[in-house]
Amino acid sequence: MRKKTALVLMVTILLFITACGNSGGGGSNASGGTDGKTLRIAWWGSDTRHEYTQKIIDMYKEQNPGVNIDIEYASFDDYWKKLAPQAAANQLPDIMQMDVSYISQYAKNGQLEDLTPYLGSKIKVDDVTENVLKTGVIGGVQYGMPTGVNVLGFQYDPAILKKAGISEIPDNWTWDQYKEIALKAKDKGIYFDSSMAADIFFNYFLRTKGQSLYNAEGTALGYEDDALFTEFFGMLAELIKEGAVPSQEKLNQTKGILEESDIVKGTGIGIWQWSNQFVALQRVVNRPMELAPMVGPDMEKGIYMQPSMYWAVAKSSQSKDEAAKFIDFWINNQDANKLIKGERGVPISAAVKEAVAPELSETEKQVFDFVAKMEPISSPMSPPPPVGSAEIIAALTDYVEQINFGQATAAEVAPKFRADANAILSNNQP
Amino acid sequence: MAIRNESLKTNLTGYAFISPFIIGFLAFTLIPMFISLYLSFTSYNLFTSPRWIGLGNFEKMFTNDPKYWNSVRVTIYYVFVGVPLRLAFALFVAMVLNTASRMVGTYRTIYYLPSIIGGSVAVSIMWRNIFSEQGIVNHFLMAFGAAPVNWFGNATAALGMLITLSVWQFGSSMLIFLAGLKNISPEMYEAASVDGASPVRKFMNITLPLLSPVILFNLIMQTISAFMTFVPAYVISKGEGGPLDGTMLYSLYLFRQAFMFNNMGYAAAMAWVMLIFIGILTFVLFKTSKMWVFYESEGGR
Repeated sequence: MRKKTALVLMVTILLFITACGNSGGGGSNASGGTDGKTLRIAWWGSDTRHEYTQKIIDMYKEQNPGVNIDIEYASFDDYWKKLAPQAAANQLPDIMQMDVSYISQYAKNGQLEDLTPYLGSKIKVDDVTENVLKTGVIGGVQYGMPTGVNVLGFQYDPAILKKAGISEIPDNWTWDQYKEIALKAKDKGIYFDSSMAADIFFNYFLRTKGQSLYNAEGTALGYEDDALFTEFFGMLAELIKEGAVPSQEKLNQTKGILEESDIVKGTGIGIWQWSNQFVALQRVVNRPMELAPMVGPDMEKGIYMQPSMYWAVAKSSQSKDEAAKFIDFWINNQDANKLIKGERGVPISAAVKEAVAPELSETEKQVFDFVAKMEPISSPMSPPPPVGSAEIIAALTDYVEQINFGQATAAEVAPKFRADANAILSNNQP
Repeated sequence: MAIRNESLKTNLTGYAFISPFIIGFLAFTLIPMFISLYLSFTSYNLFTSPRWIGLGNFEKMFTNDPKYWNSVRVTIYYVFVGVPLRLAFALFVAMVLNTASRMVGTYRTIYYLPSIIGGSVAVSIMWRNIFSEQGIVNHFLMAFGAAPVNWFGNATAALGMLITLSVWQFGSSMLIFLAGLKNISPEMYEAASVDGASPVRKFMNITLPLLSPVILFNLIMQTISAFMTFVPAYVISKGEGGPLDGTMLYSLYLFRQAFMFNNMGYAAAMAWVMLIFIGILTFVLFKTSKMWVFYESEGGR
């Protein structure tokens, strides 16, 4: 008898648990949708970003009475760990900040809404250039609206450049000139740069040759000739071996610690990175700095406007119109953008850019000017990285580390990387 | 009938009182475990529904993933070097603190502190700073005329640093040793002294045998927790397990597969292999313990 009671109790508890689960799911759906006036919005970022984003949301609520906005924010890593289960449970926020490296995954799996019908009506894009708008297109569908753009470049301290015996970065410089200058700096005991992030700059290099890291469909690598791999990473390893760039040991040691990097200590000339990172770097370096364009030939083919992040709308959202309206507010409202000041990349609307300009600090203005100079000559972005790219980038980074440590040559590694990458990509095909 | 109702009532009250545990255990331990067992036979990326691939994950793990074997190698090195060092150090400190001196309570607290804050992110970050390029360790080395070491740039050095961190967190095993030492009756040592035994001999023939059950306990607990070490490796290598995968501990590689590459099925399979491996290792430790663990109550079999 006692056993029976226990059994009944267990069954009841189980039923109770499952019942809880069901009602819980149903409940939040109802609150998300019926009146169409409650929006959930999620983003990642720093405290500064959380603060001004909250202010902008308050501003929006004030101008649109009756709209309620629930916010969710986190650090970059935590953000994706929270978003993935929400996607699996079909409970994504109405509006989500999306990263270039993740948007394909969400788009391909049918989690995101096609924004094309909203363009021109709910979301005004008259002031946005085609190249920029296109960066949100995946497989022919506008899944994301870029919040702002960045462009690659060389960010350096001109005073240290002079100290290294180099008067200036030449216009339209080539890889040969780059090597020559870097070796010249080395003779004065100064590092030219801190190497290049493998995936980003290899992709740039491939683009200047009319190729790309991934093919358009995201089913394989976008280049056929492993000699390109050998040429690019061989060159980077050579510069490390020659001592124009710190050793891989030292690079690992200082990775992620800006304060210990050579440019801050005055023993390095510059860093290759995205334009939005200039403001933070300048603040730590605390000496006048400048931005120079990428190395060529065919720099124009290589560079592209990279969306620093997107706003995307969930397919499951019950308030898509309202979500689109909010995105429009974000992109086109000048008062809102005076608060953002390009913290999510240089604004994509020309009118907004102009309106924000007087509010900018000297450093921010340098970034805006640099992006403005590059935008007209840049080429369309390659399709966003395919599903599985995080794993491919990790593999590439590991291989490049092996090359730089001198454990393997670029020529040995190239076919291995190809095999790995293609295996990962085919694993991720539906 | 009345009695039966009575007992049902008593039982129900009992079940009601333990229901928080039962519900929690079912919802957060047992059911997730079975789900993860199921997932380990699937390919699952969180977005599309799990696809059954049978033993595919295990096959890849054992035959087609050098990074997996690397993480196994790194972890085994970490555990088999780190745990004995840690236990030896803990025993040493416990014996020092076992002497009756003033302030001994304060010393015990101080030595235990690292373990309380031990696994935390803050300590790992502090550790990163201590071993950074211009950190205190390198300054120390240079003061003695040695060359500074790139602790994060060299795979062996980085793993060595992680092991040092684990040895430094010896506090909890030390406390248990201390309790064990207190249980050894002073008469034994006195008798040995009368017979003219040296301190080394006393240690080998009295302390170690009488402490062996405690050593076994510590060994098993520390081995299990060392296999699951995650936070220091994650924080110190910034989640990448570098350089050259030198700090890619098993749990870090598992985490990367699950949450960075979204290979949930593969990660679940890895978790089960780890569980089984730890189970076997613990079993073996218990079996061998018959040869070296001495129980007074059994008359020293």
